[in-house]
Amino acid sequence: VLNRRCVEAAVMTGLALNCHINKKSLFDRKHYFYADLPAGYQITQQRLPIAANGHLTYGTYIGKKWSQVTTKMVRIKQIQLEQDSGKSLHDDLRAQTLIDLNRAGVGLLEVVLEPDLCCGEEAAVAVRELQLILQALGTSQANMAEGQLRVDANISVHHPGEPLGVRTEVKNLNSFRFLAKAIDYEIQRQITELENGGEILNETRSFDYKLGFMPEPNLPPLVLYDATSLPSDADSQQVINIDQLRDMLPELPSATRARLVQQYGMLPEHSFTLLGSKVYFELPKVPYPVEETTAANNEVGLLEFFQNVIKETRAEPKKVTNWVLNTFLYYLKQQNLAVSERVQTSRSSVIRQAASQGSSENPKAPGY
Amino acid sequence: MWARAVRVRFLAAPHRGRGFASKADPQGKVQAAGQGTHTPRLAPQGGGRVSAAKIEHLERLALVNFGSREAVARLEKAIAFADQLHAVDTEGVEPLESVLEDRCLYLRSDNVAEGDCAEELLQNSRQVVEEYFVAPPGNISLPDMVNKIPSPTAE
Repeated sequence: VLNRRCVEAAVMTGLALNCHINKKSLFDRKHYFYADLPAGYQITQQRLPIAANGHLTYGTYIGKKWSQVTTKMVRIKQIQLEQDSGKSLHDDLRAQTLIDLNRAGVGLLEVVLEPDLCCGEEAAVAVRELQLILQALGTSQANMAEGQLRVDANISVHHPGEPLGVRTEVKNLNSFRFLAKAIDYEIQRQITELENGGEILNETRSFDYKLGFMPEPNLPPLVLYDATSLPSDADSQQVINIDQLRDMLPELPSATRARLVQQYGMLPEHSFTLLGSKVYFELPKVPYPVEETTAANNEVGLLEFFQNVIKETRAEPKKVTNWVLNTFLYYLKQQNLAVSERVQTSRSSVIRQAASQGSSENPKAPGY
Repeated sequence: MWARAVRVRFLAAPHRGRGFASKADPQGKVQAAGQGTHTPRLAPQGGGRVSAAKIEHLERLALVNFGSREAVARLEKAIAFADQLHAVDTEGVEPLESVLEDRCLYLRSDNVAEGDCAEELLQNSRQVVEEYFVAPPGNISLPDMVNKIPSPTAE
């Protein structure tokens, strides 16, 4: 049985990613044997998915100082609804696999990108933007560490002008840092292998294309409507109106950034930082490494905090921007804190400090 | 009826199947790759032999064991039997995927109606470790009893 909220989430995500929403989409069964797939098949939408042919725009930085940002685009091949499998933990010591079936059968949204990304950093930034979009839409909390957003990367190399090379797949990447590192490592490995006259072998591929595919017999085609095609006597619980969902879309990260630039006169790269787009690249100026999850969480709530400071101090926006992005953020990273922690404990004093300090560089002021 | 029988026999004549590679089977015989057939379908025609490589592949994917020459022969006969489907002319007819194709897909509202039965479900398994089901490491092919398949979802 198909969950209505999953369909809405898929349509909203498709709209946010500029996809064409297929008014009719089909479900298939993908058969294979594995302990984490108790039914022996996975319901998916490989043949005719719910959305296709979109694009995701993300910001990349020019140069190592992250002082200038430019936008790039990766095309979205399709978005499909499918079932999740269970989770398997390999216990090589005892030659067994431990299976957790809690998430088996739960609805998944698979977003398939075209091979427009060229390195680990681009991939990490693109996935980060996708994460921000999903969080803004509310279609997923997209926390990578908790497995709410998982990435499978397909990597190949080729000489410019020639067709794409044989691809290998790295599965279930669940942190930005590992995602970027694994991709860069694999790129290098393939280049070295090919330069030494070797060839790239693809094991997953040969497994994949021979899998048993058949139409899912229990699910009729999924039909979506828009304002013009909506039947007048339809049960509102049983129909999905694409136009209605489009009207309900919240402000997406790209629109938020544009608004910040326009409203507060800040530079585009500052808007990216305020939204936490600089995921793991923002290394703190401290001698010890910062845990990646903490680094990413430093920015959670940063935008809200910024807007509160603006509102309550009525200070000049450019000064607030500078203080929040330099003084405050530096302090957070130095102390390895998340915004939410700092704000709760000494909120008013922090804001008073902000108002009085302006653009001074003194993170050790009293009140922290 | 006479005409139909003729047609079936015609299709079952010794055309070698398309999709069978030119490989030697266990008995050392070599079969030629098929030429174009009369039907638009790609499936092999009757009388085709199934190559050793394909048997091995099927065994790995479907976890069965074609232990003997007789079993392979039985498989080939089954394929030939199914080839009778080609007797029907389906030109211009869309495949029927589900008898529900004219029905509306029911959308269930996002409410939790059941669950919280982990204890009960875990009792279904012979072996359990701390709320995890225990399974052997990867798929084990019956002929080999050795784990060869890379898992599609392993973490």
